Amino acid sequence: MSFLTVYITEAHPSDVWQMQSNIRDKVVFASPKSEEERASVAGICVRKLGIKYPSVLDEYGNSTEQAYTGWPDRIYLIDSQGKIAYKSKPGPFGFKPDELRAALAGMPEVEAASWRAAAGEIIAPGLYPMDADQSRKVHASDT
Amino acid sequence: MAGFRLRVSPFFRKLLLALVVALIAVYLAFGAFLWRTMHKPPEEFGRVMAKMPGPFVFLLFPFETMWVHARTGNLNLGDPAPDFSLMKVDKSGYVRLTDLNKRQPVVLVFGSYT
Repeated sequence: MSFLTVYITEAHPSDVWQMQSNIRDKVVFASPKSEEERASVAGICVRKLGIKYPSVLDEYGNSTEQAYTGWPDRIYLIDSQGKIAYKSKPGPFGFKPDELRAALAGMPEVEAASWRAAAGEIIAPGLYPMDADQSRKVHASDT
Repeated sequence: MAGFRLRVSPFFRKLLLALVVALIAVYLAFGAFLWRTMHKPPEEFGRVMAKMPGPFVFLLFPFETMWVHARTGNLNLGDPAPDFSLMKVDKSGYVRLTDLNKRQPVVLVFGSYT
């Protein structure tokens, strides 16, 4: 059982669609203008949010985001045969770790201890600020 | 019991009808514009949304339902997951999905900081 964060295009960069909640939380970044800038913001994101599991950077052409329709945020579960076993609705509305938890619980090949440990870390305190409350709830209920 | 009947002139009735039709037309046209915008690349969508006055699109339109449909994507349950090989954020190497996915399920979490 493995978790992977795919860092993609910023949802609310300051030069495109600034959110007041991000200003309050001091999460203000302009759209990265190069691969290097994107890597830099992604690094800050992973560090500040304390994401423990591996994180990768979508390339600047957004090919992986487009293949998965991942923007602004989304969760997938891929089974050990490489097939899609769970696909959340698009975020922010559809980003529901509870649904992932149910999907994981239904997978015979996933050991409970393994996914419970990982699910406790998922998006805590929030990969996407609008989902933070829900993420904290999941985090708290798993501990 | 006799009902109250408001007397309006035919001209006023026509004017009212025209106004209602115009409002419906504007509503539908704006809804179509919003729907098309939801299919645009993220940055383009974001630039349009940034200009929307207040929360009115969320109040006047079934925004969530439209968004969920517009961003459904092409992948369905049971489809092979598209492979990718991407650099780790800490630059310690690349991760290929098919390598990670050998003999174990993988959860992919797409997102950004803002």
